[in-house]
Amino acid sequence: MSSSKLFVDLTIAFRNLVQHRRRTLFLGAAIAAVTALLVLLNGLSTGVRETMIDTATTLSTGHVNVGGFYKVTAGQAAPVVTNYKKVLAVVQKTVPEMAFAVHRGRGWAKLVSDTGSLQAGITGIDIRSEPKFSSVLQLESGKLEDLAQPGTILLFDNQAEKLGVKVGDALTISAPTTRGTNNTIDVRIVAIAHSLGLLSTWNCFIPIESLRALYQINQDATGVIQIMLNRKDFDHIPAIAARLRQALDQAGYRIMEPDPRAFWMKFQSVSREDWTGQKLDVTNWEDEISFMTWTLKALEGISYVLIVILVAIIIIGIMNTMWIAIRERTREIGTLRAIGMHRREVLWMFLLESLMLGLLATIVGVLMGAAVAAGLNAAHVPVPTGLQFFLMSPHLHLAVHGSLMVRAIVIITFVTGAAAFYPSLKAARLRPVVAMSHFG
Amino acid sequence: MKAIVSVREAVKNYILGNVVVPALRGVTLDVVEGDFLAIAGPSGSGKTTLLNLIGCVDTPTSGTVEVAGKDTRQLSERELTDLRLHTIGFIFQSFNLVSVLTVFQNIELPLLLQRKLNGPERAQRVAALLERVGLREYGAHRPSELSGGQRQRVAIARALVTRPQLVLADEPTANLDSVTGAHILDLMRELNRTEKTTFIFSTHDQSVMAHANAVVRLADGKLVDRVTPAQAAAETGLPA
Ligand SMILES: Nc1ncnc2c1ncn2[C@@H]1O[C@H](COP(=O)(O)OP(=O)(O)OP(=O)(O)O)[C@@H](O)[C@H]1O
Ligand SMILES: [Mg+2]
Repeated sequence: MSSSKLFVDLTIAFRNLVQHRRRTLFLGAAIAAVTALLVLLNGLSTGVRETMIDTATTLSTGHVNVGGFYKVTAGQAAPVVTNYKKVLAVVQKTVPEMAFAVHRGRGWAKLVSDTGSLQAGITGIDIRSEPKFSSVLQLESGKLEDLAQPGTILLFDNQAEKLGVKVGDALTISAPTTRGTNNTIDVRIVAIAHSLGLLSTWNCFIPIESLRALYQINQDATGVIQIMLNRKDFDHIPAIAARLRQALDQAGYRIMEPDPRAFWMKFQSVSREDWTGQKLDVTNWEDEISFMTWTLKALEGISYVLIVILVAIIIIGIMNTMWIAIRERTREIGTLRAIGMHRREVLWMFLLESLMLGLLATIVGVLMGAAVAAGLNAAHVPVPTGLQFFLMSPHLHLAVHGSLMVRAIVIITFVTGAAAFYPSLKAARLRPVVAMSHFG
Repeated sequence: MKAIVSVREAVKNYILGNVVVPALRGVTLDVVEGDFLAIAGPSGSGKTTLLNLIGCVDTPTSGTVEVAGKDTRQLSERELTDLRLHTIGFIFQSFNLVSVLTVFQNIELPLLLQRKLNGPERAQRVAALLERVGLREYGAHRPSELSGGQRQRVAIARALVTRPQLVLADEPTANLDSVTGAHILDLMRELNRTEKTTFIFSTHDQSVMAHANAVVRLADGKLVDRVTPAQAAAETGLPA
């Protein structure tokens, strides 16, 4: 029946919370709700970020890229890496931890059908060496393997719709070559994939030999070497990029200054520069989709503002509740001080009560948030078409990781304690004489 | 016998806005170990103020208060708290138990604050006191489940659990009926005899004073005299 000091502290804290059940439930529900919202908002931006990385790194960029420009004359820049096998050798030696590397041709061309035309980026790929491609793309019709045959093309449904074509139809691709003249090739549509938002409106895929034929470039030339990393190395991307720059520089290549923009945004400035021949450009995935990561930043910004406001509200709520509790318990505090409780023990007693409420409420909140997130993920909630464009996914995907849950619990519990600190300090400074007062 | 409390020319002024309220106007008093002393006087005469000074919950505006040989004006807040924790027990007029703790936990609390005894030692001491105040069956009850007299007995047990040299009680029976009050006084008196604990309690009730060794009478912040209970009872003409 005997008990330790901590046990009695916990008993006092817990029983006071139970005693003021309505107040505790109200405040606890508010804290839990804010925690759940924090988890959901954070899960949403993490989910979008992950989808974005996943989609972007399959469709249009590696985690780290070695691209570049080749200039026949100072004013004519082509997104070409010549003699890419030698560059690839340097890459493989410099980044041994990579998962794999692919090379792709880059271009911008006009697609013409019987009934329409559109401008799009075209990517030349070797489908047999693209292990992740099929996991991200959802085909509406056709077969991905057929893209191995020369003279074929993969379109997205929005493009096919605009061009009024289906699998089996023919298209003409028209593009300016490095020599300044226009060239055309005819291709057959072998696959149509579901749209993946922003990136898929600007992209279509043809075999790399066809791209070389279109642009009349050499067999040993490509557009970019895309390096894919394992998840554990995602945090080291800037370091890996820096390492690559140094290694390529030492191997005798001319390297462009780091510039966090997509390659197609660099044409203008590169064309204005006064050099000819080959220069390599090392970029990362964020650079290549910088024109669209603002959506992610906006989402994170909105979440941040929302969370700050909500946290401010619970801080006010907690402080208010504490003032009420301390006023009600003035005599008790005075009594405890009179019978020999030190100030810091009174402080601890009140802090403990808030921390206990905070901890319980945040755990409930995190579990609620995670449950709602799991429910939304399982329900495959369709994203409105307008938003799909930015989220790059047809379904809502919230990524609630364990680390996020722990972080939410720690942060909000800490906020609870911090909010309770000043009132608790005031309680600790109450004079023991108040115990004797006949009032209150 | 040794003085456990020694008050010299103690003055206490309260500041209310810009008015100075003199609560004690120079009180000198010695209390020896083992005493069972009543402080009597009409409302507003300064009984609570004097007990606060002796109980180290307040310090005098001028003059000195020595408790267990220590001048309270020389002590820091922390040292005063330690002095209260280890030397003094308190019994309050409105019992002042911690409502969310059980009777057992309330009595054990000062021991936990002291951190001197281990669990079994504490349990033994609390159980003995519960027995002593006649509440053996009530350890697991909450204070709200007890009568006023039972609550004050819990408060007495809490005040005595650390075996303090001095127990202070500010009108311990004012919230009790006279029969229950008399029982409480009997209990205090008995503990005073067996444990040799010094008791100082305030009251303005003649029948309560009758239990004391001596009665110190206060009026208007001054010590009037120190008499026997019999004298106090006889001189009904005095302010009481
Ligand atoms: N906190 C305070 N602020 C201002 N004046 C006070 C305060 N406490 C007591 N006083 C005044 O000091 C004087 C003595 O008060 P004290 O409470 O010591 O008297 P008491 O003898 O205990 O009275 P009672 O029998 O009513 O308890 C009174 O005039 C009272 O109004
Ligand atoms: Mg009083």
